[in-house]
Amino acid sequence: MMFQAKKKVKEGKVIKVELDCDELIRNVRITGDFFLHPEDILEEIEKSIVGLERNADVWTIISSIQRALQSRDVQMIGISPESIALLIREALA
Amino acid sequence: MKWRIVELETHDAYFNMAMDEAISEGLMNGSSPPTIRFYTWKPGAVSIGYFQSMKDEVNLDTCREFGIDVIRRWTGGGAVYHDAKGEITYSMIAPASLFPKNIIKSYEVICGWIVDGLRTLGIDAVFSPVNDVLVGGKKISGSAQTRRGGILLQHGTVLYDTDLGTMFSVLNVSRQKITDKMIQTAQERVTSISKHINADKKDVFLALLRSFTKDKDYETGTWSENEIFRAKALAEQKYKTEEWSFLR
Repeated sequence: MMFQAKKKVKEGKVIKVELDCDELIRNVRITGDFFLHPEDILEEIEKSIVGLERNADVWTIISSIQRALQSRDVQMIGISPESIALLIREALA
Repeated sequence: MKWRIVELETHDAYFNMAMDEAISEGLMNGSSPPTIRFYTWKPGAVSIGYFQSMKDEVNLDTCREFGIDVIRRWTGGGAVYHDAKGEITYSMIAPASLFPKNIIKSYEVICGWIVDGLRTLGIDAVFSPVNDVLVGGKKISGSAQTRRGGILLQHGTVLYDTDLGTMFSVLNVSRQKITDKMIQTAQERVTSISKHINADKKDVFLALLRSFTKDKDYETGTWSENEIFRAKALAEQKYKTEEWSFLR
């Protein structure tokens, strides 16, 4: 099943998440007007979320994203792991 | 270090964005100098941020109907309508080591050149983090940057005389739904140089040219054959392709 949510997050930019999900998150796409440096880290963030359980809590999602970020020198502007995780929970609620 | 300045030119969206990437590549391999360029877009175009969805952001039917190009940028940020007559765009491509590592601080440095240029025209502009320049609380300029391979590319627009009606019709709000109230709301958030002073576009360009080149060793130049060749290739093989446009 497909799920989605979109909002202007507290860091100031608009984020949209789209998820393909059964009991597990099978696919995720994150779009919006935020800035991420380096840009290709977004694909790593998306991959880090795939495979999580549908009812994974916010902290589990944040931890997965942070693992994807830890080996890179990443600057996020207008977006954060917490905002992505909260929006994913909102989409799947 | 000597900068190259390429004065106001007009190209289509694909060449404009491809040239930014071609210069970035050239700077990485030592064949291009640090460059500041000023340009306009013909035909008009909508550019979307690297992470945005083309289908979500752009009213593609209206763009086709009006002959407006659509393009995905190499940089993040939001969707922008580049009015063929209503704005001046700049790009700055240089070693990232010349600027603060902190992204917002580096926006402040480069957007500061825009602020200075507008102030010399008598417009009371201020930098507004992350990436905007405001006049009286309204946006007059937006910028976006990327850093790849030690190179910082920042490009942005300075609104000269914005056609808000067209802007609304291409940025995925159907024409039937555009109301006077929406345009009024936009007018409350966006401004342009023509609303503040009576200056022609060339004067605005010259003011920006002076502020962007202040305290820099520079010479006015143009593109090398290699840069033009590479930009044309990138335009055809990347920026015009469905794969790139609909990446997200």
